[in-house]
Amino acid sequence: MILWFCPEVLFVIAGVGIILTDCLAPDTLRRLLSPLALGLSVILLVWTLLRSGQPMPASWSNLLVTDGLSALFKPFFALCLVAVTLMSTRYRLGSDETVRGELLALPFFPTAGLCLLASARDFLAIFVALELVSISLYLLTAFHRAKPASLEAGIKLLVMGGLSTGFLIMGIAWLYAAAGTTEFSRLLLEQAGKPASPALLAAAGLILTGLAFKVTAVPFHAWAPDVYEGAPTPITAFLAVASKAAGFVLLLRIFGFGAFALESIGQVFRPVILTLGIATVTLGTLAALPQRDLKRLLAYSGIAHAGYMLLALGTLGEAGLGTVVAYLWAYILATLPVFIFVNELERIHGNTDMRHLDGLARRDPGPSLGLTLCLLSMAGLPPLIGFSVKLAVLTTLWNAGETPALVIALVMAVAALGFYLSPIKAMYWEREADSIPAKRFSIYLVWVLLLAGAANLALGLYPQPLVRLAERSLAPHPTSFSIPQK
Amino acid sequence: MEMNTSIFLPALLLIPLLGAVLIALGSPAKKTAILVSVLNLIPGLLVSGTVLRSGEVLFGAGTTPVREVFPVKFLLGIDGLSLSLVWLTLIVTLAAMGAAQNGVKREKEYFVCLLMVGLGALGAFLSVDLFYFFSFHEVALIPTFLLIGIWGHGDRSGAAWRMTLYLMLGSLVLLLGLIALVMSVPEVARSLDWRVLTETLRANPLTSSVQTVVAALFLVGFGTLVSLVPFHSWAPGGYASAPTPAAMLHAGVLKKFGLYGLLRLALPMTPLGWKEIGWIVGIMLAGNIFYLGLVSLQQRDFRWLLGFSSVMHMGTVFLGLISGSLLGLGGALTLMVGHGFSAAMAFAVAGEVGQRTGTTWMQDLGGLAKRAPKLWFYLMVAVMASIGLPGLANFAGEIMIFFGAWSAHPVLVVVAAWGVVLSAVAMLRAVRAIAFGPVSKSVENAEAPDLVGAAQIWPFALLTVFLFLVGLVPVVILGPARPVLERLVAP
Repeated sequence: MILWFCPEVLFVIAGVGIILTDCLAPDTLRRLLSPLALGLSVILLVWTLLRSGQPMPASWSNLLVTDGLSALFKPFFALCLVAVTLMSTRYRLGSDETVRGELLALPFFPTAGLCLLASARDFLAIFVALELVSISLYLLTAFHRAKPASLEAGIKLLVMGGLSTGFLIMGIAWLYAAAGTTEFSRLLLEQAGKPASPALLAAAGLILTGLAFKVTAVPFHAWAPDVYEGAPTPITAFLAVASKAAGFVLLLRIFGFGAFALESIGQVFRPVILTLGIATVTLGTLAALPQRDLKRLLAYSGIAHAGYMLLALGTLGEAGLGTVVAYLWAYILATLPVFIFVNELERIHGNTDMRHLDGLARRDPGPSLGLTLCLLSMAGLPPLIGFSVKLAVLTTLWNAGETPALVIALVMAVAALGFYLSPIKAMYWEREADSIPAKRFSIYLVWVLLLAGAANLALGLYPQPLVRLAERSLAPHPTSFSIPQK
Repeated sequence: MEMNTSIFLPALLLIPLLGAVLIALGSPAKKTAILVSVLNLIPGLLVSGTVLRSGEVLFGAGTTPVREVFPVKFLLGIDGLSLSLVWLTLIVTLAAMGAAQNGVKREKEYFVCLLMVGLGALGAFLSVDLFYFFSFHEVALIPTFLLIGIWGHGDRSGAAWRMTLYLMLGSLVLLLGLIALVMSVPEVARSLDWRVLTETLRANPLTSSVQTVVAALFLVGFGTLVSLVPFHSWAPGGYASAPTPAAMLHAGVLKKFGLYGLLRLALPMTPLGWKEIGWIVGIMLAGNIFYLGLVSLQQRDFRWLLGFSSVMHMGTVFLGLISGSLLGLGGALTLMVGHGFSAAMAFAVAGEVGQRTGTTWMQDLGGLAKRAPKLWFYLMVAVMASIGLPGLANFAGEIMIFFGAWSAHPVLVVVAAWGVVLSAVAMLRAVRAIAFGPVSKSVENAEAPDLVGAAQIWPFALLTVFLFLVGLVPVVILGPARPVLERLVAP
């Protein structure tokens, strides 16, 4: 019975509960909606931490599996939800204030979908879970009905999301036609040792394309900057961190060690993924250089990070896969706090232009220091965790003998300093603007940023725990990929 | 019973860190910075005692963990080679804190950044684990960026960006070299501990081609950090724009990280590769000495002149590094330390001149000797040290390098000797322009042209003492370093 209280189910129940409270509760109670949602998300995070390694209900075992990877990434998504809920409670809605309940409730549904994705062992499960995520996110992106940019972002995400789903479902159809199954382990068993048929390769290509949209790999990245800029900031954070991570978990599962971890497919797709990685790192980094809006900057920086992860993934070796897992955790540690900061900046100034950072270090030394550490971690400077994972990417590429990719990754890591340093430069080195807003950052932000900075530093100085987590997540789990008993 | 001094190694790093925290929390910035720099001499002294007696001190050397995927270990160590560089860092840091001008804007952040630069250098010299060795050097990168950007002069923004991106690029090439080195060792023997790695590679050397690749990556990586021609263009402008204590720390101490890395890693671990690329190093260092020597003749700004002259001396150190003889390596180490003191001194004097007269353009200066005899004295010490007057530290190093390199590279020694001439011409012309002749307007109008009182003089006196100490008794450096260097040249 307790199996049914798995995080996925509870996320949905919590989301429905918040909506019902919003609709039915008297006004006095509705004021407590924000703390309620935040409390629920924190409780669910704790629950996910406790339960993510437990098996799922037996009747789901055809579609879902509990293994090291899903156990590690369900808490990841739950953590994203906490941050997003925290940001949503403080997000400035302006004339749309009446609908805050929905902004708080809706993220619970895609979180459930992401947790399902992390466990998927069958392409059908992937498709259904992905739709659960996407549809909630279309709504959330276009949440600001009064703001044209938000509506535009919603339409763009809808069209591009639809397109990527199209690729994915087409790929699944071809796969079924070619192999007669959509289940990962069966596919592996039946195709092992055989040369890949053209139909199977086409299926893998289409599925890779569908997922490339999700992880914002060049050339399927074009939606990201506009959507990130237009969407409400909490939702941008969700897209940039949780949604992207889910894409990588799927890539790990499908191309890394699951469905398509076949010699015959790897031979064809290894150079493809590496090329995608090179293009993504290069374009993400270079396009980030001229950005003056923090959300767009983060969008391109996210594209560049996706590129590094694709490079590690593209080697298709054990070390590369572990690197992706560690990289994702380093990415969330550095990126989420920056989004939380951007959300607060928008609350005070109404937009996210970088000039609001001018001279910030003199007014608010605490948040500035924390933000600096997070940005430097993203830039990959030692002794922060971002450096350790970038080092792992470089080492992986060296061992795989991918010299061109290695050189490009190095050069782009230097170029990236150009845009990661510019917010730091603005904070510490520019003059303060003449009109300083009356509103100040709240104390919670100071703590969040300082703690995040300290975490980046501590893990950077002592990266073993993260390495061990990544290693363990890929170790075979007793319940993983056993063929279900009929 | 002998005292276990290993605990003082982390103390050397914690004390400046503590100072930075205290300053951030509101303790008076300059006083605290000087205090922690003085305090840091105590663990330095205690550790030195043990090094002199037993050769090395290690901290954190416990049981090695079972094979880890990412086997970093916080391991600190000091031996006869790093001893002199640690002392260079301690003394120059102290002098830099003392020479920092009073009443600078945003004092707190200023001194925190300076302490972090010193901390990065100390950490790099003390680290035994390659991960921390590399990381500590990078710690200094961002504070330097801010120091030049916020408190610099001239084209500070351009200089800060150029220097930071250039150094980052150099660091990443170096990182690539480190990856290449560690990954070419068979997996069972792989380690990030350079002591273990050196022993492993001494017993089972890498193939000559691998050594060449690694040595070439080290040459470009470390060479960029040391501003070897043609990777030097960040340095003169960066030093010219940097605020005085930052230039002192960077030119005096941090730049030695690259040379130290070559002595520590490239020479012992890839000896064949280093020999293989020796001729390239030769061309590059000739560029440093001769080409930059000529360029330095054209400088009109005293700060730029010092920047070029500082870069120029690196060529002579490299000559010592490729000499392959004990004498040459000893000379390189002596010149590294001597140049550290003399460059710090020269930038400190230039800073004082600039601050007191409002300019460092040599044509606008003149007659400083009359109006500011004390400053003139220290200017002369710095200049004489820089051009290699016997009795001062640089001479000891240079003469050893010339003798040590003669049998292997006679042509380069001739080039380097001409470099000494060029350097002397440039520096003495500068002294004539600044110190002698009719008293110029800017010197005339300076309200307080000279150093006054012990509080202003002691940083200069401190550096002078050490310049003479190393120059007259170079055995203070060579004695402890001798066993380490002997193993470098041993077949």
